[in-house]
Amino acid sequence: MSSPHAAPRPGATPVRRAVPPGLLFALPFLVLFAVFMVWPLVQGLWMSLTDTSLSAHAPSFIGLDNFTEAFGDAEMWRALGHTVFFTVISTVPLVLVALVMALLVHTGLPGQWVWRLAFFAPYLLPVGVVSLLWMWLYQPDLGLYNHLLDVVGLGQVAWLSDESVAMWAIALATLWWTVGFNFLLYLAALQAVPDHLYEAAALDGAGAWRRLWSITLPQLSRITVVITVLQILASLKVFDQIYLLTKGGPNGSTRPIVEYVYDIGFTGYRLGYASAISYVFFALVLIASAAQYAALRRREK
Amino acid sequence: MTSTELPVRTAPASQAAGPIRELAITRRARGGRTNLTLGENRVSRVLALGALAVLALVWLLPASWALLTAFKSEADASDPAHWFWPRHGFTLHGFSTVWERGDLPLWMLNSLLISAAVTVITVLVSAMAGYAFSRTRFPARRPLFVLTVAAVLVPPQILIVPWFQQMLTLHLLDTYAAVILPQTVAPVMVFILKKHFDSLPDELEEAARIDGAGHWRIFWSVLLPLSRPMLAAVGIFVFIGAWNNFLWPFVSTSDPALMTLPVGITSVKDAYGIQYAQTMASAVLAALPLVVVFVFFQRHIVKSVATTGLGGQ
Amino acid sequence: MTGTPAPVGPPGLTRRRALTAALATGTAVLGAGALSGCGSAQAADASTVRLWDLFSGADGGLLNDMVRAAGPDMPGTHIERTVLEWGTPYYTKLAMASAGGRGPDVAVAHMSRLAGYAPSGLLDPWDLDVLAEYGIRRDDFTDAVWARTQYRGHTYAVPLDTHPFIVFFHPEPVAKAGLLTKDGTLDADAFSSPDRFLAAGKELAKASGKQGVAFGYVNDTAQGWRLFYGLYKQTGGIFELPEGGPAKVDIDRMTEVIAFMAKLCDGKVNPGRLDYPAAIAAFANRQTAMILSGEWELGTFRAADPKVSAAPFPTVFDTPAIYADSHSFVLPRHPDLDPERRRRTHRAVAALLKAGQIWATAGHIPAYGPVTRTAAYHRLKPQSHYAQAQDHVVLDPTAWFAGAGSDFQNAMSQVLQQALHDGLAPDRAARAMVRRLNTFLSKPSPA
Repeated sequence: MSSPHAAPRPGATPVRRAVPPGLLFALPFLVLFAVFMVWPLVQGLWMSLTDTSLSAHAPSFIGLDNFTEAFGDAEMWRALGHTVFFTVISTVPLVLVALVMALLVHTGLPGQWVWRLAFFAPYLLPVGVVSLLWMWLYQPDLGLYNHLLDVVGLGQVAWLSDESVAMWAIALATLWWTVGFNFLLYLAALQAVPDHLYEAAALDGAGAWRRLWSITLPQLSRITVVITVLQILASLKVFDQIYLLTKGGPNGSTRPIVEYVYDIGFTGYRLGYASAISYVFFALVLIASAAQYAALRRREK
Repeated sequence: MTSTELPVRTAPASQAAGPIRELAITRRARGGRTNLTLGENRVSRVLALGALAVLALVWLLPASWALLTAFKSEADASDPAHWFWPRHGFTLHGFSTVWERGDLPLWMLNSLLISAAVTVITVLVSAMAGYAFSRTRFPARRPLFVLTVAAVLVPPQILIVPWFQQMLTLHLLDTYAAVILPQTVAPVMVFILKKHFDSLPDELEEAARIDGAGHWRIFWSVLLPLSRPMLAAVGIFVFIGAWNNFLWPFVSTSDPALMTLPVGITSVKDAYGIQYAQTMASAVLAALPLVVVFVFFQRHIVKSVATTGLGGQ
Repeated sequence: MTGTPAPVGPPGLTRRRALTAALATGTAVLGAGALSGCGSAQAADASTVRLWDLFSGADGGLLNDMVRAAGPDMPGTHIERTVLEWGTPYYTKLAMASAGGRGPDVAVAHMSRLAGYAPSGLLDPWDLDVLAEYGIRRDDFTDAVWARTQYRGHTYAVPLDTHPFIVFFHPEPVAKAGLLTKDGTLDADAFSSPDRFLAAGKELAKASGKQGVAFGYVNDTAQGWRLFYGLYKQTGGIFELPEGGPAKVDIDRMTEVIAFMAKLCDGKVNPGRLDYPAAIAAFANRQTAMILSGEWELGTFRAADPKVSAAPFPTVFDTPAIYADSHSFVLPRHPDLDPERRRRTHRAVAALLKAGQIWATAGHIPAYGPVTRTAAYHRLKPQSHYAQAQDHVVLDPTAWFAGAGSDFQNAMSQVLQQALHDGLAPDRAARAMVRRLNTFLSKPSPA
């Protein structure tokens, strides 16, 4: 860390004059950036061309073998599929429920503080807490949700151990946990809608639904696109809550691609192959970003 | 980098590099006026309130259940016949057991130290870089900035393996430094702060320069004080991100004495098996710090998320 | 949280000041500890031996008792336990910590995982001379177990126990079915061929009034494999996994074993579709007279039936063989460790082994021979009934990907489940297992 005293003073010494002060300011960041971003990116690419392993043996260069293996690896494709599936089933409710919450809270009804706390506080919980909590809620014999299903006379659900249910259960927990973030973004956008639009509508005698459809929602279309984009990119990176709730199970049916990287690299010791899969995942993120960028551009025209 | 990374809610910026919109969250005064979105219809008011109450109830339920469980005895917590109200009343036993075991306070302290260090370093370093990119000239400034902005697209998840290898080579695994340093690289924050410095007027700076102030004085004594709200917003966001970050602390620490809160409570088990009341007590204790901070600083946190969360869109 | 008192000041500023103070304290502590690179608990008290293990529940409590009992044997040394989540995450963390060179002093690992650890340089070998100084010798362990501790002439594991896959039974229905010998042990002859085993199951079902033999395997990541591999080794068939593949196995014998397993879980005489907890419950609630299970469930069963008895897994095919694994102590790699510290670790492990009688109460067979030869051990029933199982134990095949909590066991169990649960023909299941085996073998060993 550079301390204030080491900071550049123009004209202090010839050496300092030789280095542009702007560069000195940028230097701490650039050093961290080079060491912990650029270098790892390059090193990861290099590792993906070797058989580097967690164990003591010396890595050797194996060309594109890791990538060839990855493209033929059914488990990798399956994990990619899980990631995409999770992205779809989490993004839709995370955007829609956030919108509904924001619209309702924005009506200015009493109890603002309570609503915001209820919807946003879960977002502040560390994922460790969220997963312990939901494991308990989903516990088959003692958990809250199966008790509630019993009370209303529905059958019990094996939330996290039934292959056809587990991913949905994870998406539900994720919705509870992170919807507050999108909710706040929507709330902020709603407050930026000019009052005069509503006042004009009031003069026209438009009711609540008319105001919603013809003023509020159109005004929110840009932020909706932005939130959706951010949410898709965030959901693609899912690992934490899935790893903690199901370890990718039952029978690998919820394992996302990031966990596959972890499993291959650290459980299977194959750091080289894990790097190659990381880059396949990176490609997916870039493709998603590019598609969204193109979509945004078209909209803005 | 992971400092901006809130699990599944990352907000990397940003395709369109528009000017920052300051999103004010403070409620507009509307005392005495008719409701702008609902109109004057009483029915819609009641319906909206009803819907809101139901939603809030659904959202509060899980945490309330955790609280309820945390205050039960182990026997009551695992009694399916009396799943709701405990037969033997409430107890603090779960909390005291967890606290006395001693690792939870340790993990809290680790989380605090690590998040604080990540926040201080990230904010300072990013502000300096933002200033450099915004207000100074030096060779390769533009390409370096473009590179920084492009790096926003890199998901930290793909760096886990090379970071691990790097720390292995440097013999830093299982040290605070290994947990902290990779988290301090936050291109998004540099981008946000550069945009922010762009938006400040030149006049003050020029006045200071005429007084003979150098770059450091201008940065430290003129621009930073002006930027407090923005720095607070960035700082809060970085802190929440670091406090909740899981993947990298999980990979870089195996020694329980160095684990952060989210890693510790999920990796280290009790020698006596699954004890639901204790588990929920530790979850409640682990959740407490940020929730308490939120209750006190709600306005700041809400604003921080709204400005920083969009990554400078 | 740091205990920093909030500075006195104008009320409005207190909170912020307190926060700033806390941050400053934090940063200062950090600057001192972290950046100099010694923030690790490495520097912990010099008399401490740090032990990682995966025992929770009853086992966890017993290990605590053992640590206490071992105290007098290692004056001045104190064992600090860390219990981590069982299964794959445990082995992942252990490997990562060992790679970093800052792992615990000693860790518990399943012997079956050794093939994935020792060759990869993640473990340090034990010093047999030092162990001998503390009274632990090679002859104190059975050959079948000791053979697995070796890699390239070094000893990489010190066995704590053997935990075989055995049969538990309720004595009354078994006696009623005429399947007990005069001295009250199981009549192994009545189970000595697939047909006899199935016939005995029928008798047991009649005697219990419900069903015969329980076996829980549905959605389990290991059970199917445990039963299969023990039985397969009884056929004398080869099971070799040369690096790079293909696997050398005897498909006909595999088919024979799978067919027997499928008949055993027919759903009529014996329950057909139990998962692990359901099987435990079925036996504990006397829905069945017998259960095929790991001995580690002894505590659970004894709580339900104080008279519950047990026997080594019967030799159904020709060769005696009993599937088992062994908890053992391993030394995670420490590139430059103080020899004194290593010596202390050896001493602590020796002390724990000698306290093995406590471990035996859970059902595990202590690997340290002098413990099982005592009169006190012989009085332990039903433990002493199945202690001889350790003469014929069969651990997982030696391959880097095999062993407890591995993907391999899970993959094999999945195929077996298709045969037992979904009606996949035994010969096709056998071939599917071989295909999965070859996939594992085709992957490069990380060592």
